[in-house]
Amino acid sequence: MVSITPTPRTSPLLQALRGHWAAANGIQRVAIVLGLSLIALAALAPLIAPFDPVDQSLISRLRPPIGFARYKSGFYLGTDELGRDVLSRCLYGLRLTLSLALAGACIGLLTGASLGLTAGIRRGWVENLVMAAVDIQIAVPFTLIALLILAIFGSSLQVMVLVLGVYGWEQYARIVRAEVRKIAEMPFIEAARAAGASRGHIARNHILPNIVSPLVVQFTLSVSNIVILESTLSFLGLGVQPPTATLGSMVGVGRDYMPTAPWIVIAPAAMILLVTFAVQILGDWMRDRADVRLRER
Amino acid sequence: MLRLLLSTALATGLAVTAQAQEITVGAANVSSYLDPGRDHSNVGSQFYYNAFDTLIGKNHDVIGAEWRPALATEWQLVEPKVMELKLRQGVTFHNGEEMTADDVVFSLNRMYQATFAPYLVRSRDRLGNFTGAEKVDDYTVRITVEKEEPLWETLLNLQQVMIIPEEYTKALAGDPTVAEDSDFEAFSLAPVGTGPYRVSEFVPGERVVYERFDGFWGEPAPLARATVRHIPETASRLTALKTGEADIVTNIAPDQLALIESDDSLRAVGSATPLFHVMIMNMNHPKLRDPRIRQAMSLAIDRDTLNEALWLGKAVVPSSHTLAEYGDLYMPELKTFEYNPEKARQLLQEAGYDGFEITFDTHPVYYTNGLLAAQAITEMWAEVGLKGRVDVAEMWSGNDPEMMARNWSNPMYFADPFGSFGVMWAPGGPSQSEGRFNTDAEYAEIWERFRFSKDVAARKAAYAELMERIRQDPPVLPLYRPYESWAMKKNVNWAPKPGHIPYVLDFRAGSISFSDS
Amino acid sequence: MIMFALRTVLKMAITLFVIITLVFFATRLSGNPIDIVVGEGLTQEDRAVLTAYFGLDAPVWEQYLRYLRSILAGEFGISFLERRPVSQIVAERIGPSLQLLASSLALTLAVAVPLGIAAALYRKSWIGSAVMIVAFLGYAVPNFVLAIFMILIFAFTLNWLPVVGNGSPWHFVMPTIAMSGVLIAALTRFTRNAMLDVLGQDYMRTARAKGLPEHVVIFKHGLKNAGVTILSVLGLQIAGMAASGNVVIEAIFSWPGIGDLLVRSAIMRDYPVLQFGVISVALAVVVINAVVDIAYAWADPRIRLAGG
Repeated sequence: MVSITPTPRTSPLLQALRGHWAAANGIQRVAIVLGLSLIALAALAPLIAPFDPVDQSLISRLRPPIGFARYKSGFYLGTDELGRDVLSRCLYGLRLTLSLALAGACIGLLTGASLGLTAGIRRGWVENLVMAAVDIQIAVPFTLIALLILAIFGSSLQVMVLVLGVYGWEQYARIVRAEVRKIAEMPFIEAARAAGASRGHIARNHILPNIVSPLVVQFTLSVSNIVILESTLSFLGLGVQPPTATLGSMVGVGRDYMPTAPWIVIAPAAMILLVTFAVQILGDWMRDRADVRLRER
Repeated sequence: MLRLLLSTALATGLAVTAQAQEITVGAANVSSYLDPGRDHSNVGSQFYYNAFDTLIGKNHDVIGAEWRPALATEWQLVEPKVMELKLRQGVTFHNGEEMTADDVVFSLNRMYQATFAPYLVRSRDRLGNFTGAEKVDDYTVRITVEKEEPLWETLLNLQQVMIIPEEYTKALAGDPTVAEDSDFEAFSLAPVGTGPYRVSEFVPGERVVYERFDGFWGEPAPLARATVRHIPETASRLTALKTGEADIVTNIAPDQLALIESDDSLRAVGSATPLFHVMIMNMNHPKLRDPRIRQAMSLAIDRDTLNEALWLGKAVVPSSHTLAEYGDLYMPELKTFEYNPEKARQLLQEAGYDGFEITFDTHPVYYTNGLLAAQAITEMWAEVGLKGRVDVAEMWSGNDPEMMARNWSNPMYFADPFGSFGVMWAPGGPSQSEGRFNTDAEYAEIWERFRFSKDVAARKAAYAELMERIRQDPPVLPLYRPYESWAMKKNVNWAPKPGHIPYVLDFRAGSISFSDS
Repeated sequence: MIMFALRTVLKMAITLFVIITLVFFATRLSGNPIDIVVGEGLTQEDRAVLTAYFGLDAPVWEQYLRYLRSILAGEFGISFLERRPVSQIVAERIGPSLQLLASSLALTLAVAVPLGIAAALYRKSWIGSAVMIVAFLGYAVPNFVLAIFMILIFAFTLNWLPVVGNGSPWHFVMPTIAMSGVLIAALTRFTRNAMLDVLGQDYMRTARAKGLPEHVVIFKHGLKNAGVTILSVLGLQIAGMAASGNVVIEAIFSWPGIGDLLVRSAIMRDYPVLQFGVISVALAVVVINAVVDIAYAWADPRIRLAGG
């Protein structure tokens, strides 16, 4: 959390954070707090979840949340179609969904950015090849690609990470390549090159630092897109294997119970909404901050 | 004369009231092709009875076999292996052609002497004993079998041997005088039969539209038009009923029933469908070779609790692989399968079970409650110390040597143990051929007695022996007869009839009507 | 300019060829579809008969060459399930998908552009924040969640709107809104950002300095220039997003469109349909992209010269 009371010896990081906090407006502060709370909930799920998320109780299926008739004591958000605790499943689901989204976004970032960087620096046929792959990726709706991959390899957790990792790499590649080409024409690169710096050196010391902020922005966007993608795949019956819960699979499976036991869907759907909402606002905020810095330079 | 006038007047009057009647059915699944011969799916069985006839009919109001004349008016054995059938005269197909012995011979031999691959595979499991049909005169045909057949009527009442027009079919593609594969392919998109409804529009996978066929030989159809639409989402199906977009919707899960009951304008009907959801176990999986492990997997499952929890107690948990529809061959007295966790634990100990993981494969949505049951079963296994894991996949894994256990269904393709257990678990049948079930000479001998004994008592005795074999070295556990529900507007009087195979949407005379309220 | 167009067309052809190849081998990797296509209870012998009947018994590369040859002859195969030409099946479904896409784009433009402009103009006030919060929310709600909640409220409970198919204008209401949610959110933000960029440009200051009324400045100069960006975003982003969005929305509303067809053929392993469907969608996206590229180049000579 961001410390409000000043400590005698403030670290630069803390100072920077405080600067960001001060620059944020109301809604952005809400998003920051929301985001951190969600991360905390996910991290602490094993400690705070009242029940094991896969423990069934067939005799108390589809019990409503607290405050309704037939509420089963202790199951605050009710029970699902197998009598499992919706709250516990939500917490564990949040944990897995966030992990999947982060892992997927990281894989996408690493592959996409390195391909884009290579393309931008090496030019020539390498660039053509990478950009052709980007074109292909763009031409086929990602949901379809995911369908195909999941059909071929089955839907285990590993495959899911892989699928989500493929998501969005072409965006990173495009951004990085474009930035690299723009920066490569700037005078300070020319100067470095004239001074005899190697290509690797230029990439590391001059180009990378300059593309960090658009990447961070894209990364945030892709985290929230992946959360939605995962839930879409689960909705189509291609999500992670049960009984493991993700927010998406809870909505996907629970949708048949929408008219009779809406709490099974509402709780995880609300969680998805909070996650993507917080991430979106943070992403936008970062973009604004990045823009400001770019303009100031 | 007066009587004739009266009945004509009555018929006309009925026709007038019926003329106004049109319905829309929201179905969870709609066939991709319509050909009764090549199809035995639960999706397809919904559609054929309205548009096609068999030679020998059946009273569908009762459980058990009450045969009725249909396209054949009489039939008798003229030799031990030859059946002669007299055909009804004046029957027309939906395209106006008259039905004669040529059509019947064509329809039967397309199955009995199949060359078209989809017919071939469909006829092998149930029609293997039939060698051919031949025309005697325009209204007489003879059918020959290889071994004396105890199930003549049953096997002439099958959906697969419904009658289709010869000339029409042959002319659909290629040479109009030869039956080519492409003719049968084309037929499945433009089906023509003799039933009370003709298929006036068919969009594969999307929509089947029936219209009353005025040239029908029997009692006229009560509906002028019936449209069956594909509405895959459960919530959308229910909603379509509420918004008036559908008059009847299929596949309502038990969990949704309360919703229908709480609405004054709707009602639901249901029945325990004549098919079993089963768990199959791979006898030849290296880790499951010991029958005691499989017995324990079976004994650990509390099927009554599954029924109470997932089916509101409305499914039927069988003691053996037997269905009330079998009539004389219904054998509830057999105790082939039971719940006994104590014994399961003991057997596991004796077998030296070391805690290896057993996967239970399931399709995500194909079987109602299938995924839920799979998860509940692994939980029940855990109670006796078996380590289970659910594996969800669309691909059929029944032929995979790695498959350990999975769900499946054993539908009643016709009302005889041969029509359910017999199709799936015959020597050399699908289960054995897929490598998860073994039979030996002794099993084959018992099976032969069960299949071909002319005496019912002998067939029963043989079936009991088969069940004992299954109990000792189990490849399968029937979980329950699922309870299937249809929901409809309150003024629609329709219910699944007990004499049908599963899922038939029967809109013939006497099967559907409307009340004024 | 002609060179540029030619290069674009060549690029399209290569992209499509690679996609055809990838999809073909991907489907063949995902196993024998016979069990799913034909149903349960087959013996191994039956399975072999049907595998041969569907032409799946030949080596994969031979199937591939056969497929390429038939494509060159203009034949895209026969559906495993429906036993009719896939081109016919896909053709039936393009119309409904396009209708839904068109109505969604219309709604998106009608809502998102004014919202985006408002958000840019009133950036500092509560109006701007409110618009952006709504936009973020729109982005945060998965379209199927929006769809099932709408069905619950407007169809199931209130019985106001139909849910099945595309029979009347009323049928368009819920699917259109469900599909537009994300698009509106995205386009609102793009519009806002594009407008913000434009508002800061010199020519805007010049226009104001000339004493033109504010609304003229904004609409004539601002929107006209931001419009280029907005349209390119529509072309590039939305084509792909709409195609994916369709998949789920069409399934929920039993909409007889191409997304529903693609999911079903993937799940049922109807390879010929799946292949042709993917090719059609890819072709559409590639063409839209190319048109946008060319239009962009035409509008902005720098790209043409740089040889993008």
